[in-house]
Amino acid sequence: GFFWGKVAFKGRAAAFGTACWGLANKCVISNSFILDDPDLKDIDPTVLKHCHAAAATCILEAGRQKADISAISACLEDCKLDKERIEQFCTEYQKNKDALEILLGSIGRSPLHITDVSWRLEYQIKNNQLHKTYQPSYLVTLNVENSDSGSHPDVSFSCTMEQLQDLVGKLKDAAKSLERATQM
Amino acid sequence: YLKGTKPSFFLFFFLRKLNVGVDTIQHGVEGLVYLLTESSKLMISEVDFQDSINVLGFSDELNKSLLQLYLDNRKEIRTILGELAPKLPSYHSLEWRLDVQLASRSLRQQIKPAVTMKLHLNQNEDQTAQVLQTDPATLLHLIQQLEQALGEMKMNHCRRIVRNMK
Repeated sequence: GFFWGKVAFKGRAAAFGTACWGLANKCVISNSFILDDPDLKDIDPTVLKHCHAAAATCILEAGRQKADISAISACLEDCKLDKERIEQFCTEYQKNKDALEILLGSIGRSPLHITDVSWRLEYQIKNNQLHKTYQPSYLVTLNVENSDSGSHPDVSFSCTMEQLQDLVGKLKDAAKSLERATQM
Repeated sequence: YLKGTKPSFFLFFFLRKLNVGVDTIQHGVEGLVYLLTESSKLMISEVDFQDSINVLGFSDELNKSLLQLYLDNRKEIRTILGELAPKLPSYHSLEWRLDVQLASRSLRQQIKPAVTMKLHLNQNEDQTAQVLQTDPATLLHLIQQLEQALGEMKMNHCRRIVRNMK
């Protein structure tokens, strides 16, 4: 909040409040860089950087704490921002809040995430060791996503019909427990 | 022999009892092993087995005990041969637990339900385990897909193939 107050107090440009949000929005959400923005070329790059860092910190911290609008307003008032800018900031914040939460929620380590499954059914007839084997066999591939690296180390395995029944039974148990847990 | 019991033990046993050469016994055992594994591999019928050994010119009594030997051990030999077949990693078991993520460094006050699973697979004689996670919606999708897979085996197409193969 320190930088924010300092920068805002300087009141260099008329549209500074909006610029701040725009910067933070761009940098935090879409990750492009502010110094190249032609609308901001008249502003001292150092101030611009401070301003950007302050806005980004403010937005991320508010998002992280799940701060409500009144808390954000109070904080900005402490930083001596005028009413109009605070309102503008809060309106923009409200608009982007959900996207911000999704972004913040996705940061951090978690086990490999299953996103889908594909399967193939085969009927085994014979192999070089054994004739007349005659049994169905499933090949299951779990599509997996790694949240950290974005890689997709899929998990494949074969199973008999009984094993697949076992697997499905267990997944159903989990789904039932999940349903019960959400009703509590 | 098949299960890797030391052959030398039997060899000495037979050597002493039968008073014949090492080579003779070795050939005898190898012949017996070949006869039993090949017959079991092809799953030949009682009649076919008898026809096959009749040409070898043994006594009726020996033929009878060979047949008995085949019938008694066929199931086990097929099990062992089945283990030798090329295999993909295969399903062993699954453990699961329900989690709700409540907070993280980057976001406080979350409510994010998840199913954490430990999937045990058999891979080249070893057992491996992997920890995976999924969300409730995907879990239901997985169940639906895999139930379809199970149901497929009961469809006319599959049943016809299975019937005609036997």
